[in-house]
Amino acid sequence: MNLLLPGTHVAADSVLHRLDPRVKMGGALLLMVLPFAAGSKDRPCLASTLLLVAFVAVLVVLSTAPIRALLRTLRTVLWVGFFMFFFYLFTTPGQPLVAVGGIRVSWEGLLAGGTQIYRLCLLVTVSALLTFTTSPAQLAHGLEAVLAPLGRLCLPVREFTRAFTIVLTIALRFVPTLFDEIEKITRAQQARGADVRSPSPVQRVRTWVPLFVPIFVSAFRRADELAMAMEARGFRSAHRRTHLHRLQLTGRDLMASLVLVAVGLAILGLERWAQ
Amino acid sequence: MLIRVEGLTYTYAAGTPLERAALRGVSLDIRAGERVGILGPTGSGKSTLVQHVAGLLKPTAGRVWLGDVVAHARTRAARARRRQVGLAFQYPEDQTFERTVFREVAFGPRNLGLDEAEVLARVRWALGMVGLDTTRVMGRVPFTLSGGELRRVALAGVLAMRPEVLILDEPTAGLDPRGRRELLAQVRTWQEETGMTLLLVSHDLAELPRVVERAVVLAGGGVVADGPVRQVLSDGEALRVAGLDVPPTVALLRALRTAGWSVRTDRLLPEEAAAEIAEARDILHSIADDGGGHP
Repeated sequence: MNLLLPGTHVAADSVLHRLDPRVKMGGALLLMVLPFAAGSKDRPCLASTLLLVAFVAVLVVLSTAPIRALLRTLRTVLWVGFFMFFFYLFTTPGQPLVAVGGIRVSWEGLLAGGTQIYRLCLLVTVSALLTFTTSPAQLAHGLEAVLAPLGRLCLPVREFTRAFTIVLTIALRFVPTLFDEIEKITRAQQARGADVRSPSPVQRVRTWVPLFVPIFVSAFRRADELAMAMEARGFRSAHRRTHLHRLQLTGRDLMASLVLVAVGLAILGLERWAQ
Repeated sequence: MLIRVEGLTYTYAAGTPLERAALRGVSLDIRAGERVGILGPTGSGKSTLVQHVAGLLKPTAGRVWLGDVVAHARTRAARARRRQVGLAFQYPEDQTFERTVFREVAFGPRNLGLDEAEVLARVRWALGMVGLDTTRVMGRVPFTLSGGELRRVALAGVLAMRPEVLILDEPTAGLDPRGRRELLAQVRTWQEETGMTLLLVSHDLAELPRVVERAVVLAGGGVVADGPVRQVLSDGEALRVAGLDVPPTVALLRALRTAGWSVRTDRLLPEEAAAEIAEARDILHSIADDGGGHP
């Protein structure tokens, strides 16, 4: 599949790959929240938008992620984005630009709809970037380390965080597998004459039934087999574990954190100034 | 219809770090009614090749012709041609989805737009061809069948479309030796009854000569051997290049030859090998009788 979906990890060697997972997770969270750091008009100002897009673009280049695959993924995401766009377009009050009957389209609506698409694209790009540069094992390790202080407060939290990190790791690990499976089963049904590319939406939805049943069946079977395999190898979610590699913050991580904080402050500053 | 594969190249995930060439410039012609076995180690591009023949993948370079149309084209003519190519994927039972066996097998024929009487006739015929008791299984829920039975139902689903070209991607994978032999014998019967072109991807070197007449060996995305099945399977060098072992019969005959027996090594089936060895033994005996004067 020629898409770069969140969940795809490639063990390349880039600056971003070598960063500490905690820094990357914190950074990803920051970059996902920043587009929501809006002024009074519920949308970020132009300057902060440009800064954030430029910063994420630099990160994409640094990560050596396939840019064409990423663009293709965003194009797919746009299908979802369009619904949001039109929702905001028609429901945001403001000075009407065009008015046809009862439907009014305002400049504010246009901007609000655009903002949603921008946020969605950024969300997908940043999460794809995080999983592209961080292996599921690193992610889990980082998450455990970040949540560890909570565990010192009371015991159930610690057990919960361990179970949660494992659930998350496994879920991420199977996103690409599931997509491969969907593609394979689509082709198998196509070979039996299912018209997957039919222009009629009704026809298209009808072709989903032959896809979903086998995919659910195989997902459940896979989950069951995985659980048994884990148990057979002595897995207990409540066990306390040590790690082969200890997470150690380096000068590089410090630099990256400083850059992230600087970008965050710059954007908040720009928003404040634009108000 | 003539299947012509011309310089077929296919790259998975082109332009990403996961890029991998599955086929590199494969060319083949397959005549109507021919029975072709496709062999090769895992990752040699067998499945990718047959999916191109079914028009399910768009080549990165090169072309696949089904008669006079390009296999993956989006024209009406190409779609009609593709419907004459039946492909059963590996582990086809994983792709079943209907509530009853009847509906499962009828899925293909219904997509062909046939009327219900014809659909029913085809389902009965196809289930009979795969050796299932039609009246017993038609109303069953597919998931209540055994793995082997479900595999047969899935294959019946492809047969029921009455394809001109039947492609089976490792139909015997995961079956026990007896199940393999039976299934391959059935495949042979289907081909004889319908005269369709058969492309069989298989690792069953010992059984393959019973079903196909020609063998194509793939390795690393290219064709390393293509010819009559006897010739290809007794050619140790081509199989070694592809990372495959010669069939056990050929291995035995070769060992005998090395030990000084004058036997031919292209006897692939057990009974042929046995006859060859018996003949060589008789010759040895008669020489011994003539020369030594033993009783």
